[in-house]
Amino acid sequence: MGDVILTMKGITKSFPGVRALDGVNFEVRKGEVHALMGENGAGKSTLMKVLTGIYKKDSGTITYEGKEVEFHNTREAQSAGIVIVHQELNMLGHLTVAQNIFIGREFKKGIRIDDKKMNEEAKKLFDRLNINIDPTETMSNLTVGKQQMCEIAKAISHDAKVIIFDEPSAALTEAEIEELFKIIKDLRKQQLGIVYISHRMDEIKVITDRVTVMRDGTYVGTLITKDCTKNDIINMMVGRVIYEDPKEHSMVPEGAPVVLKVEHLNAGKMVQDVSFELHKGEILGFSGLMGAGRTETARAIFGADPKESGDIYINGQKVTINTPEDAVKCGIGYLSEDRKRFGIVVQKTVAENSTMATLEKYTKGLFIDKKAEKDVAQKYVESLATKTPSVDQLVVNLSGGNQQKVVIAKWLVRNCDILIFDEPTRGIDVGAKNEIYKLMNKLAEEGKAIIMISSEMTEILRMSDRIVVMCEGKKTGEIGIEEAAQETIMNMATREIG
Amino acid sequence: MKKKVLATLLSAAMVATLIAGCGSQEAAAPAPEAPAEEAPAEEAPADDAAEAPAEEPAADGAAAGGDYSFEIIVKSYQSSYWQAAVTGVNQKAEELGVKVNCTGPNAESDIADQVNMLNNAINAAPNGIGLAACDQDACLDSLQTALDKGIPVVCFDSGIPDAPDGSVYATVATDNYAAGATAAENLYPALKDKIASATAPVRIGEVNQEATSESITSRGLGFIDKFAELASADGKTVAVIGNEYYVNNCKDKGDEASADVIIEVAVPAQTTVELCATEASVILNKADTIGMFGSNQVAAEGILTANENLDVLGTDPASSILAAGFDAGSVIKGAITSGKMFGAVTQSPLAMGQTTVEILTKIANGETVSDVPTQGYWYDSTNMEDNSIAPNLYD
Amino acid sequence: MGKNKSVISRLGGQKFIVLLVVIGLILFFSAVSPDFRKYTTVMSILDYSYYIALMAIGVTFPLITGGVDLSIGTGLICYSLTGGFLIVQKGWPVWAGILVTLLLSITIGLLNGVLVSVMDLPPFLATLCTCMITRGLGSIFSKGFGISWPTSGAPGSWFRNIFKITVNGTKIPLGFLWVLLLVVLMAFVLNHTKIGRYTIAIGSNKEATILSGINVRFYHIMAYVISGFFAGLAAIAYSAVFSTVQPGTGAGFELEAIGGAIIGGVSASGGFGSIEGSLIGVFVICLLKTGLPYIGLQANWQQIITGLVLISAVMVDIMKRKKETA
Repeated sequence: MGDVILTMKGITKSFPGVRALDGVNFEVRKGEVHALMGENGAGKSTLMKVLTGIYKKDSGTITYEGKEVEFHNTREAQSAGIVIVHQELNMLGHLTVAQNIFIGREFKKGIRIDDKKMNEEAKKLFDRLNINIDPTETMSNLTVGKQQMCEIAKAISHDAKVIIFDEPSAALTEAEIEELFKIIKDLRKQQLGIVYISHRMDEIKVITDRVTVMRDGTYVGTLITKDCTKNDIINMMVGRVIYEDPKEHSMVPEGAPVVLKVEHLNAGKMVQDVSFELHKGEILGFSGLMGAGRTETARAIFGADPKESGDIYINGQKVTINTPEDAVKCGIGYLSEDRKRFGIVVQKTVAENSTMATLEKYTKGLFIDKKAEKDVAQKYVESLATKTPSVDQLVVNLSGGNQQKVVIAKWLVRNCDILIFDEPTRGIDVGAKNEIYKLMNKLAEEGKAIIMISSEMTEILRMSDRIVVMCEGKKTGEIGIEEAAQETIMNMATREIG
Repeated sequence: MKKKVLATLLSAAMVATLIAGCGSQEAAAPAPEAPAEEAPAEEAPADDAAEAPAEEPAADGAAAGGDYSFEIIVKSYQSSYWQAAVTGVNQKAEELGVKVNCTGPNAESDIADQVNMLNNAINAAPNGIGLAACDQDACLDSLQTALDKGIPVVCFDSGIPDAPDGSVYATVATDNYAAGATAAENLYPALKDKIASATAPVRIGEVNQEATSESITSRGLGFIDKFAELASADGKTVAVIGNEYYVNNCKDKGDEASADVIIEVAVPAQTTVELCATEASVILNKADTIGMFGSNQVAAEGILTANENLDVLGTDPASSILAAGFDAGSVIKGAITSGKMFGAVTQSPLAMGQTTVEILTKIANGETVSDVPTQGYWYDSTNMEDNSIAPNLYD
Repeated sequence: MGKNKSVISRLGGQKFIVLLVVIGLILFFSAVSPDFRKYTTVMSILDYSYYIALMAIGVTFPLITGGVDLSIGTGLICYSLTGGFLIVQKGWPVWAGILVTLLLSITIGLLNGVLVSVMDLPPFLATLCTCMITRGLGSIFSKGFGISWPTSGAPGSWFRNIFKITVNGTKIPLGFLWVLLLVVLMAFVLNHTKIGRYTIAIGSNKEATILSGINVRFYHIMAYVISGFFAGLAAIAYSAVFSTVQPGTGAGFELEAIGGAIIGGVSASGGFGSIEGSLIGVFVICLLKTGLPYIGLQANWQQIITGLVLISAVMVDIMKRKKETA
């Protein structure tokens, strides 16, 4: 670890009605990876936005390279060498890789943009990072992982001295994370200061040198990573002990009936001849790398995408599912990985979202029975312990974990016996994650059958009774939790590759 | 006494307007002077409508009619045609000393806008309403309201056949069928020899902006029927082909296979100039075409636009196609002057506007009134400058 | 992914398909109607295509930002009426009238841009408002009456020769040359200058573009200014080709231009499109408009067929996209 390059001291920032940051201290040294941790809403992103000039601080000082600074926008921060790699990828899908990297500071020949030079410069950057991406490829054709690499290349191209990674691994597969870590270690060697924001404990242990923990807008403390345990960090974050270890054995009772049977399902390249069974009260984990065809399989079962062939049996009865409507009638609920796009309507209330899939039950004639709607929503707010001031609250105002609970409520109201959870805890902080896990276990105990698609190995190992592994559209393995280990699963998940 | 003066004055104005309609050059101030009253319309020396004497009775009229206010609603501000109508209305209003308020939607197709304007006019409780309705049916409810409130309505330009009894006191409109026939009456003689000497069937094209409004269809049919009548009188057989509406509603559609003269009717998919032009091009391109008729300003200009590239129009039947238009405007007038267009029929919107105000004033005075049909007038390069024609050739 | 591009997408994707449609339409109409093959018909099709083509070039920019400009149709008429009024009624020289026409078009484009970019109005709404405003303004400027710019042969009619000149009795469609030049120029602007690059960027992901430190407001406004300016050029073309400009008309022109652009491959959700594609798309519409009367189809059938062709063009696009994402 080198000298201190960036110091933030006593940073305070208030929004109308909320004190988002209250005297927060933070420091980054050259050649270190410094984790910034805290639950959602703890103020990590706000702090970084104050640093890069998106928000103006109320008080406190920022010292960068020995001088007190205040940036007024991201551009100023960028040119000074402080760059954010955003959590939500800021990609311009229709432009090429090189055009994305140099957006806003194109090389020019007269008024003409010099794309040739941009491609060459991009190539140099990738060489420096040791990654193989064609600069002329259109951005939307890249995998999420590759897109992330481009973001990093972009950051470096700014002559960055401090790079902030905001949940970089959220959308990456294990293999891609490996590659990301390699790059981060490289950057560390080059004496850059790196801020690493993440919820994933495992990663923090692997990649970071120090950890600063925030809670409710305040600074809790800074630890040397190698000297502390996961539980130390978590305790600092939530103020209570919550960590649980992997499931030891299946919780499904012996002889539980098969509620869903899928046979020889085909739907395009991403779903080839997939067969599996799901038992009552079972949590069936779907593991695999990004793009293995898990979501596509779920969507095909749910009728959201067309099937080419294959049979689906519910409780032994063959059923035809061509549309999500058919699926819902069969008692299947699907909780999308992208809540905001598919799961909930954020500008509607908790109550309205809860009855969205069941509205016909809550209408009297032409009118919606608001009272009954609120009653049922209230019931599920209580049973799922959704944190909301009332069922009239707009969903947009809830945290990620509580939004997820509203989606679950929606399908429970619908009386779905088969629930497909697609990345149920993506973007949800540790405390809320735990609650979702408890909830899923409770649902399984009550006899619901659950398919859980997850890219997080610990989540798969912790929650599943049985695990199906997919790779490139094919099912490549199926194991009970008793035999499951990270290595076996990774083997199956990469079986088809190379 | 005052009333009698006014009555005399009005009837004088009436007649003067008719004169103007028939050929007064002094459209700007059709003199409501007493002597004109006795003069038979067709002989009226309109040129003599001296300005000076007109001043006096007009001033008198102003005093008499000053209390009346009328709402005038035109079809649109789409063509210069309505400028002449509005000018006529304003002239007459100033002359009679009545108040008028002219409104109208942006386009003839803005039927709902016009109904709104009509309702607003009714709410303003005027002494009378002059209406050029865009749609024959859309105004019916409003007319009932006007009737209930006792506001008399005078229709001009187009009538409303199904209006509630008693709501429309009079209709001032061009007899479009006759006006269409006027075009045929003037075009046919020029083509007569060519038709007579033709060894193969010849073709007459007709471009109509659309096949729904009463005025356009009447003109189109008037032309077809009169042309067929004239040709038959010379022993030629006639067939009508093209747009279904016109084929089915003309007097005799004939048989295309055996006809000497084929009248081909084209209607564009939308009422835009370039589609009128395209339809015209299709007919102008045919080798056997000898004559064309465009039944309103847009259609006539469409024919001229098509000719920009084809260059087949002229005034000599031996070497070119003769085109007749309808309405005026600088483009059509220019084409007639330069010999691209053979001639055209014009209405007298100016007279229509004037007559409307007069009739409204009459009604307000408690007199009985009846419908006033106005004519279409043929004009070509020989008579364009005539005093009887020029005032009606609005730009 | 991306590597296994199909032959068609390598040849320019939808543009290529649409070009085939254009060629198919030409062959079909020529086969059915001998008159369609005449040079004069070609002249007419070109004459009547200029104003739509120019509008389509311009409107491609707002479309690519993910917006739309509905004001170009009535705007065209408004600009033309204003310029014509000054020339014909006020006796201004033609060049001055043209200048005012273009300045007014830029002003309305700027207004659209400010409404969309600064005031954050949805483009559909903002330009619908300016559509109505220009419609009314046109009537006011022309005092409600049709205006004819100087007719051919009249003094001041030189501007008509910009689009068509007669050499030794043969008419030359000069306007088509200008349209092609402008296509080349604007294709360069779209693909090789900052304005174009940021237009695509805004359409791809506006937030990300802002975060990249780009003055999104300015470039977003520019897209609408370009659209307005080209509506002004279209107004000149319209005035030069046709005789009388009628107030109250023009609504619907924009749909032909926008329809052409979308047929030509501009993504209805923004981020993707090409100027040359828009031009080819416009010719599908123009060919149908001209060709269908030539094969003797009556009015109602013309509209039905045009609608069907548009639907199939959009369907092809949707199916192609589905295939690509599958």
